[in-house]
Amino acid sequence: MIGSLFKGLGTTLKYLFKKPVTVEYPEVKRPVRERFRGRHQLKRFENGMERCIGCALCAAACPADAILVVAAENDPHKPNSPGERYAARYEINMLRCIYCGYCEDACPTNAIVLEHQYELSFYERAGSIFTKTELLVAPDQGHGEIPPILQHMNRRPSPPAQIDL
Amino acid sequence: MPDVSVTIDGTQINVPVGTNVVDAARLAGVAVPVFCYHPKMKPVGMCRMCLVEVYTPKVDPATRQVVMGEDGKPVLALMMNKLQTGCTTPISEGMVVNTASDRVKFAQKGVLEFLLTSHPLDCPVCDKGGECPLQNLTMQWGPDSSRFDYEDKIHFEKPIPLGDLILLDRERCILCSRCVRFEDELADDNVLGFGSRGRSWEIISKSTPAFDSKFSGNTTDICPVGALTSSDFRFKARVWELKSTPSVCNLCPVGCNTSLDMRYNELMRVMPRENDAVNEIWVCDKGRYGHRYAVQENRLTTPLIKRNGEFVSATWEQAYSLIAERLGSYSGAQVAGLAGPKLPNEDLFSFARLFRENLGSNNLDHRPGSPADLPLDDLPRTYGVGKGTNLMTLGKGTAVLVIGADPEEEAPLYQLRLRAIAQRGGDLTVVSGYPTKLERSATRKVRVKPGTEAQFALALVQAVAAEKLASEEVLGSGRLKFSDEYRRVLAAHKFDDLVAATGLAREVVITTAKAFASAEHGIIVYGRSAAADPAIPQALAAFAALTGKLGKANSGLIALRPGGNFRGALDMGVRPDAAGQPGLSAQQVWQQAGTGVKAVYIAALNPAAENPAAAQALQKLDFVVVQDLFLTETAQYADVVLPAAAVIEREGTFTNAERREQRFRQARQAPANLPADWQSFQAVAQLLAERAPVAVAARTLKKGAKVFTPEAPQGWTAMLTSDVNDMVTRSVSGYNAASYSALSTSRGAWGRQPNEAVYYDGTSYENTEGVGIQIAASAEDSRTTLQLNLSAPALRPVGELVLLPVARAYDGGDWVRGSKLSARQVPAHIIMSVADTARLDVGIGELVTVSSAAGSITLPVQIETGLDLGVALLPEVRGSTLGALLTGAQTAITVVKA
Ligand code: SF4
Ligand code: SF4
Ligand code: SF4
Ligand code: SF4
Ligand code: FES
Repeated sequence: MIGSLFKGLGTTLKYLFKKPVTVEYPEVKRPVRERFRGRHQLKRFENGMERCIGCALCAAACPADAILVVAAENDPHKPNSPGERYAARYEINMLRCIYCGYCEDACPTNAIVLEHQYELSFYERAGSIFTKTELLVAPDQGHGEIPPILQHMNRRPSPPAQIDL
Repeated sequence: MPDVSVTIDGTQINVPVGTNVVDAARLAGVAVPVFCYHPKMKPVGMCRMCLVEVYTPKVDPATRQVVMGEDGKPVLALMMNKLQTGCTTPISEGMVVNTASDRVKFAQKGVLEFLLTSHPLDCPVCDKGGECPLQNLTMQWGPDSSRFDYEDKIHFEKPIPLGDLILLDRERCILCSRCVRFEDELADDNVLGFGSRGRSWEIISKSTPAFDSKFSGNTTDICPVGALTSSDFRFKARVWELKSTPSVCNLCPVGCNTSLDMRYNELMRVMPRENDAVNEIWVCDKGRYGHRYAVQENRLTTPLIKRNGEFVSATWEQAYSLIAERLGSYSGAQVAGLAGPKLPNEDLFSFARLFRENLGSNNLDHRPGSPADLPLDDLPRTYGVGKGTNLMTLGKGTAVLVIGADPEEEAPLYQLRLRAIAQRGGDLTVVSGYPTKLERSATRKVRVKPGTEAQFALALVQAVAAEKLASEEVLGSGRLKFSDEYRRVLAAHKFDDLVAATGLAREVVITTAKAFASAEHGIIVYGRSAAADPAIPQALAAFAALTGKLGKANSGLIALRPGGNFRGALDMGVRPDAAGQPGLSAQQVWQQAGTGVKAVYIAALNPAAENPAAAQALQKLDFVVVQDLFLTETAQYADVVLPAAAVIEREGTFTNAERREQRFRQARQAPANLPADWQSFQAVAQLLAERAPVAVAARTLKKGAKVFTPEAPQGWTAMLTSDVNDMVTRSVSGYNAASYSALSTSRGAWGRQPNEAVYYDGTSYENTEGVGIQIAASAEDSRTTLQLNLSAPALRPVGELVLLPVARAYDGGDWVRGSKLSARQVPAHIIMSVADTARLDVGIGELVTVSSAAGSITLPVQIETGLDLGVALLPEVRGSTLGALLTGAQTAITVVKA
């Protein structure tokens, strides 16, 4: 009886001189894993074009019905995205989202990616709805070429069926 | 038809001679994939998707006997020793079809692999994605990978407009020619074709304006890929996001079944909903593109009361009590009610009750009161096509007589359906005074002198007697009674004189009469030009009755009149001649405005827009209520304006020209929770009843009374539209079986196949929410006696030219608001013959001044080569102000160059 008491205290004593595993959040932030699924970002191509083509497949795949996509037709002279279609509205409700990543899997252009931002708290419910402006990365943050097949002359490029990943 | 016995994938089945392998397989529950074949059109064998193994019993060439094998069964031989296209191979006795062998699978994979080599694979942005036969067939029958170079695809410029409504994406087109064949075979619009050769083979429009067809939207439904997209749905939503609500089009009396595809509270597209007896699987462009008016920004949302010449918003209570107070202060004879024939039955019924029961007025009408109004005609109630009529089943043995009608303009879907009867071997006679499109499909095109349809119809009645064509059965039954006037008119109009007046040869009339009388089923379709003279419907009813084409399915009259629910308006009693005490018609209301009539309640009609006399009359009235969706021209004269819910924002029923009552459902929440029209009528009636409880004298119903009489007052306690429908079923004769639940029963109509997606993905919606109920014609009760009457044809006016009003589908009415069809609306114009325009020295588009005894207007001229000298046609469209010109069914005019 007494023996086990000292055994417990011994464990406590042992940890007293060890480096703590906790960090002083929020001053200190622990890096997340490479494949961590946090708040989404809408990506762009290298040349600044939006990758999202407004197909709404992410919304269809979403088990939480968190995504709203309203598509519109691109202006051929000033396209937002390759192809005829782009997302005029793109919204994700972060309170509904379960961060499963299905949207990422469904996206044919790798436009929607769950990134590493996890600090998601809001003062009101409406704040949990992230719109396209918040989700879209800056124009100079694009990556990847539009595949050559989509860059034909004299025609509006087809949306990417097989695109770089 | 004799049946032949075939075996398909081991299932033995008997199918009618002439069935092709694809359809036979469908009956056996086996899905054969197809692209180019469509069961509504002739097979062409263009896509090779339907390849199957077909074995036929071997026949010894010497003896012409089937060779028997050792097991006593016929020896089978593979037809032509290779795979056959199922859609072009008719079934024959003893055939054995194999649709699932390795060889067939190999061929199917090959066909799909080839189709996909030239396909852009842009499903994520394609409007067809999700209801695309190419996607589905590839998933079910296609290869899992391609051996072709993905980079080496044929590319075209992305969508090019095929017309203003339809866009073509040539990369996606698989050149199945369904669209071309639909327009050529079914719609009879030779507007699409193929251009170029080889890999640049493409669909082109051959007409000016491009893709000029009133049925063009249907091609986007039957296109098996996303090559044809509709300009009013492009990129609006993905199809799986849509919620489909069953509805019924009320823009013409066909009453096509539609599906309103909604996303959240917004109307995304209108699609056809299958109903064999009404629209098969089609809708016209008006039905598809013409329902956007309900979603316009400038809809009225609050009641308005006019104070010192200005409209100010008011509450519903204020508006209702003002209406009840003012209307209640007049005697019944001083108030009048006009309710448009596009309103649902429930509203028309409540409107009639409000006037007859609470206001004690019989001044009710569903016409706008213009001189162009058609006289009331309720003969189809008695002689109309019988219960169970289904034009889709008719062909050989059916005679159809179309007279004084231009079906494509008055009720577009009848163009397809009547043409199809002729194509299936029916006898189609088109009698008209001017060119119509249906003539081109007719077995017998009869062009009478313009305005002599009445003489033609009377000549048919005479021909029955002269050629002894009367049905023994009907004459023997003793049901027919002939009025004195009938005999007098027949005696006064000799057959030869009548025929001479029409300018035809005798034989034409006689063969027409004989063809009709000898057919098993006889249908008479008459439209605007025929209904303008009451003598014509009477003569047609007599002709149908004498030849025994009455009181049974697929025989009788079909009237095409303006207004999608004109039939409901007649049945619900929104008519001045009901209940034995005639009231004022709309025309009389305008004449007596300010003197006899003091107050008018107008719902869903816009008489002031077309008829200057009505606009003047409205100013003379003490009190005007207008109930409509928009602040219309008429509403400007109102003292109180009430908004109302649009058709898509409520439920109800319509009755179509064949007297089929059909139910539509609510698809959308009305802005500001607007009430349906009947709810406003009820609110006013409740207030009136509070003010002065009506002592309703018990009225006895005459047995077999022809006109509508409410059975008994039923109070004003309806909570739901279905409560009003209950009252309708209890008190409107013929409607007793048409409860909402009965209207909602549907049957699996035309043999859909197990994997329905194979044919119909993205096309017409299957009907699961009710095909409606046909109201029996009173002649179907063999106890009714039928009083036949005739009257003398209207006198042809003497004048330089005779003016005939004609109907137009694209009439520029209120439904056009927000529609893609607004560019197609025809501006007001007058149509004249080549000779008359040459005499006047005017060319196309030049202005002429048209004058009659009533007034004069200036209009541009169109020239119609097929038109006779001495006649001018005036299309009834917004801005034609026909009312200012007309003096009767036909008007004498003079035309001078302006
Ligand atoms: S991560 Fe999952 S729940 Fe969140 S938006 Fe994407 S699909 Fe929906
Ligand atoms: S994010 Fe991807 S899946 Fe979602 S709409 Fe855009 S392209 Fe389609
Ligand atoms: S446009 Fe559509 S319907 Fe017409 S040929 Fe091409 S694939 Fe067939
Ligand atoms: S034919 Fe008539 S009922 Fe049918 S869609 Fe066209 S306008 Fe509507
Ligand atoms: S060849 Fe038979 S369906 Fe096209």
